[in-house]
Amino acid sequence: MNVKINEDWLAVIIAFALLILAVVGVITPAWMMF
Amino acid sequence: MTTAKVPAKAQSSNNLVGFLVGLAVVVVLAFVARWLKIQVYGANLPLGIPGKALEYPLWAALVGLIVNYILKTVNVYDFMKSGFRTELFLKVGLVLLGAGISFKVIVTAAAGAIVQALIMVTAVYFFCWWLSGKFGLPDTLRAVMSTAISICGVSAAIAAAGSVLAKKEEITYVTALVIVTALPLMVIAPLLAGLMGLPEPIAGAWFGGNVDTTAAVVGAGTIYGKTAQQIASIVKQTQNALIGVVAFLLALYFSVVVEGKKERPSAAVIWQRFPKFVLGFIVTSLLFTFGLIAKDPGAAIAAMKDWAFCLAFVCMGLELSAGQIKKMGWNPIIVYLIVTVFNTILALIVSYLIFGWLFPAKL
Repeated sequence: MNVKINEDWLAVIIAFALLILAVVGVITPAWMMF
Repeated sequence: MTTAKVPAKAQSSNNLVGFLVGLAVVVVLAFVARWLKIQVYGANLPLGIPGKALEYPLWAALVGLIVNYILKTVNVYDFMKSGFRTELFLKVGLVLLGAGISFKVIVTAAAGAIVQALIMVTAVYFFCWWLSGKFGLPDTLRAVMSTAISICGVSAAIAAAGSVLAKKEEITYVTALVIVTALPLMVIAPLLAGLMGLPEPIAGAWFGGNVDTTAAVVGAGTIYGKTAQQIASIVKQTQNALIGVVAFLLALYFSVVVEGKKERPSAAVIWQRFPKFVLGFIVTSLLFTFGLIAKDPGAAIAAMKDWAFCLAFVCMGLELSAGQIKKMGWNPIIVYLIVTVFNTILALIVSYLIFGWLFPAKL
């Protein structure tokens, strides 16, 4: 099956997944230090 | 010439490998850009330039450009280019940026941004349309170029091209022009703003109205300061929201006036072309405003935002295709450069009046 997703929505999904991981403490500031 | 048929399955797995390799190259280059930024940050450079003036967007675009040249020289660029996703990384970064901006700031800045966007888009679009007509450029190229320069570079060029059925070469040509001018502007605009002593909100509004592509707008804002980055992003996203309206009006004009068709394009294109990631940006800002993002997660999100932008700037350098520009001669380049100067001066006046006087953004 070939599923196509709009890039805008894909960006929103990725950003919210990262945001949730940060909020629940899986991704920490030290780990992501830029 | 004989051509061998490649089975679809092999082609698809080859594409996936190319995408993954390209993505890996982008990630490695982002680490290199970050390393370069750290090395230079504390140093004093020649001509008294402080190292911290050279922020990561500059290094990321630079390493992207160098590796772009190397990959093309050794003929592996096409294999991995599907992994170079400037727009995707940029949009992820912008949604995450919302998680650090109070919704009150967005509302305050958006009021000025809407007025600025309406003035800038209208004035720059029609100036470019008129000037390109004087230089005898084809209508489809005029439409794509005018939309790209007045709204938001690459994505606006693609949206306009869909509305006026422009040739593929015209899109790649305008896209290349956008990046070639946006990359130096990303560095020059903050330097000029510093020389003029512009406050950060006004400088941010200027970058948002003047620099052609969203990635370079964010880059210029990042180089100038945190507030400049926030205001530049809000102003540019407000401008981006007009893509759908312009795409619809262009489709209507080309269908009715140029092609003489009776059927009208659907207004649904306004929603189809609306940049949906802006909605994500607003929601993350609301989460931040209602205190749902604590200090530690907030710091992690801010760092991820910087990583996403860094990946986008690397891709911007990687995606530059200067070879396209040679193909169409000098006339479109002259038009583009004159309109860029017009855009830069007008945006400075308009942002000064709006963000310095009419709607001063208080952060």
